[in-house]
Amino acid sequence: MVTQITAPVKTPDARPVGARDSRGYRVFTWLNVSALVLVTGVMLYPFLTVVAQSFSSEAAIRSGQVSFWPVGFNLNTYRAVAENPLFWANYRNTVVYTVVGTLIAMALTTTYAYVLSKRHLRGRGLLIGFAVFTMFFNGGIIPNYVLISSLGMKNTLWAVVLPGAISIFNLLVMKSFFENLPGELEEAAQIDGLGWFGIFGRIVLPLSKAVIATMVLFYSVQYWNDWFTAFLYIDEQQRQPVTLFLRNLIAGASSAASEGAAAQSAATQSISVNIQAVTMVLTVLPILCVYPFVQRYFVSGVMLGSVKG
Amino acid sequence: MTRVGNYGGRRPRSTRAAAAVAAALALSLAACGSGGGDDDAADAGTTGAMEDYAAGDQFKATEPVEFSILWTDWPEVTVKDSWEFFDVLEERTNVDLKTTHIPLSDHLEKRSLLISAGDAPEIIPLVYTGEEKQFAASGSVVALSKYLDQMPHFQKYVEEWDLQEMVDNLRQEDGELYMLPGFQEVSVPMFTLLVRKDKFDELGIEMPDTWDEYREAFLKLKAAYPDSYPLQDGFQGQSLLNYAARSFGTQAGWGFGDGMQWDEDAGELEYAATSDEYKEMVEYFHGLVKDGLLHPDSFTVQDQEAVERVERLISEGKAFAGSGASGTAIEWSQALDTTVGAGNYEVVQVPPPAGPAGDLVEPRNFWHGFMITKEAESKPHFTALLQFLDWLYYSPEARDMLRWGVEGETYTKSGDEYTLNPEYRLDIFNLNPGAPTDIQKDLGWSTFLAEATESRALKESYATDQAVEYIDQVLSTRTPTDPNPPAPLSEADLEQAALLGTPLKDAVDTATLRFILGERPLSEWDAYVAELEAKGLQQYVDLYNTARERFAENNG
Repeated sequence: MVTQITAPVKTPDARPVGARDSRGYRVFTWLNVSALVLVTGVMLYPFLTVVAQSFSSEAAIRSGQVSFWPVGFNLNTYRAVAENPLFWANYRNTVVYTVVGTLIAMALTTTYAYVLSKRHLRGRGLLIGFAVFTMFFNGGIIPNYVLISSLGMKNTLWAVVLPGAISIFNLLVMKSFFENLPGELEEAAQIDGLGWFGIFGRIVLPLSKAVIATMVLFYSVQYWNDWFTAFLYIDEQQRQPVTLFLRNLIAGASSAASEGAAAQSAATQSISVNIQAVTMVLTVLPILCVYPFVQRYFVSGVMLGSVKG
Repeated sequence: MTRVGNYGGRRPRSTRAAAAVAAALALSLAACGSGGGDDDAADAGTTGAMEDYAAGDQFKATEPVEFSILWTDWPEVTVKDSWEFFDVLEERTNVDLKTTHIPLSDHLEKRSLLISAGDAPEIIPLVYTGEEKQFAASGSVVALSKYLDQMPHFQKYVEEWDLQEMVDNLRQEDGELYMLPGFQEVSVPMFTLLVRKDKFDELGIEMPDTWDEYREAFLKLKAAYPDSYPLQDGFQGQSLLNYAARSFGTQAGWGFGDGMQWDEDAGELEYAATSDEYKEMVEYFHGLVKDGLLHPDSFTVQDQEAVERVERLISEGKAFAGSGASGTAIEWSQALDTTVGAGNYEVVQVPPPAGPAGDLVEPRNFWHGFMITKEAESKPHFTALLQFLDWLYYSPEARDMLRWGVEGETYTKSGDEYTLNPEYRLDIFNLNPGAPTDIQKDLGWSTFLAEATESRALKESYATDQAVEYIDQVLSTRTPTDPNPPAPLSEADLEQAALLGTPLKDAVDTATLRFILGERPLSEWDAYVAELEAKGLQQYVDLYNTARERFAENNG
């Protein structure tokens, strides 16, 4: 299969046609590849521009010269951003929130999902209903705010980490994965004397690396990108995540172009596009690096629930 | 009219209910206070307050107090506990300011959330006029007009700068003030026309003063530079229409507001977008677009992209005039420095051109001010809080301090001249670049708090020479429009006005754009008015006229 798809791509001009490569198939492949290249280009372009901007001079960006390649190459902006203590404080927060949040979320989601996957569990329907209910209904922002604040979690790690700890979508995906594990394995383990926790820890989890890796990715991206929860519950700059820093940098700057803030604009110098670009690159980079490592699990994770051979 | 009748019928009942609640409260309060005697109740709330606090006095709490304040974080200014601002403030006033931080990007949402959840700090600064409506209607902020006698500086400047009528315009339906604004001794439109004067000079065009003269000038520029569009706007036309509308005797763009304008002859409010003046304005700008003098993209490109687009066109010599504030002029200059070189161009900020209605510009304005959350009213230090805010927002010493820091240390003042000392810099206004300490980022002066109330001298102290000249020109050659008579809506009316007003405004925006761009012929003007009427225009206008009459009746 693989060679069939890639062969025409590598030698698109090749006249000799393989026996199985019908004319229609070649045309299809051609269209397919061009469409995908186009889509990739559309997605990569803004990102590459931002990267190029982060290395360019402000004047070049302003006069619209920067597209793919840095113009007026310099590292000054990286130096300037790196010298901002608040940026690093917030960066550290994001890392902490992501790591702690993902750990907690994984612990809660896997255990909950495992329990739900047991069909013989009494009250299982109720537990599922309980979870699914929250997919469709929630208290709204103000009641949630009052709740978090009366629990004394405002301005703490917990306010950021706990509210999103169980994502129902992830929970249901895991549940169906666990349901598809062969029951005989667990029975065998039971006969060998393992309790439920033993089965879960020694048999089920090691067999679920694919789904766990996928969920870790989902959760860590979720925590890494989340700014809204922190925006609601964190009032101290030193405790905010870097996403909020970034959002303020970008949205705060562009809202200066609208009127309410036009008021302030005389007194506010517009934030340089460089600084925005550098902050974006630095913020996106780590989470981007996670993807390649999870990639191979990711494919099998996405295949979850499909018919297995 | 039946609605009014209904409303009139319902009103006394709710008032009676409110009175009953108030009476019950008073009884329970009296019951609580019966042990200590009546004076205690009167004294409550005066912890730390100064006796005989009067205009000109330095406020200093008689004992250390702590006030909480909502603080909007500008992305490039990180608040530091070590800021000299906090120390000097505490030393002078005995007040320890506790900040709750919200990011500028979404500060309005967070502010609403905090106030609605009853979790907001005592002082809510950075409130623009009109923003207090929703909070006043829900009763979550203090009716400050009840306490004006404790705010001597406020009263002094209302009188000195002739602001009484404008302040009265801020009263809500119940006749109370829920926010106190920052005062401006002089108020000029912040956004206006910026032109490349050197190009006008090059073609021997005398600087125009009216829109008709500008049209002639643009025609000459277009003839000399055929691939140019002389006039541009980087704010979707909102800025251009805003200052232009005033000189046509109407309101549009950013200044459209609720869309109501005062019709002198009829003696009532009318909807701006269906007035003859508005039509005339639309016709004028359609003419500019038709003749290739104003680029259609001015109305369609959005946000940052639009601002950068105009900047680029100006720097490339493909546009010669556009909307902007003094900050925009600086950005254009920087862009022009890289293309034509410093000294080869001249960007000036001109007063908004005069039009058919004369040399009118927007009404005098307030600047952002503050509200106090309801919970603070029952706290022991409430009076001290009022005195503190009166001092902070309205006393000249506090204003100088907030802008420039400590006299003798960071700046020197002689007469009306403020000079930043050489070892300090202020990046936002590009003062003393290169000096080691930034009085804003490092010391906490010149933050948003410094903007609220400004005397003319203070305003001009940090402005560029060009901006000072602009202020002079506007004040000497332009007349502010009279403000509309107050027509505060009740909570129910507000809701209805929002329901009716939003689709109306959408229809107006779309039609205005299409008329100006020529996508819809102006011969369809009557059809357009009929469309608005079908959307409940009359009902909407009635809401305001009724509210105006009601307010006039209740408040004289």
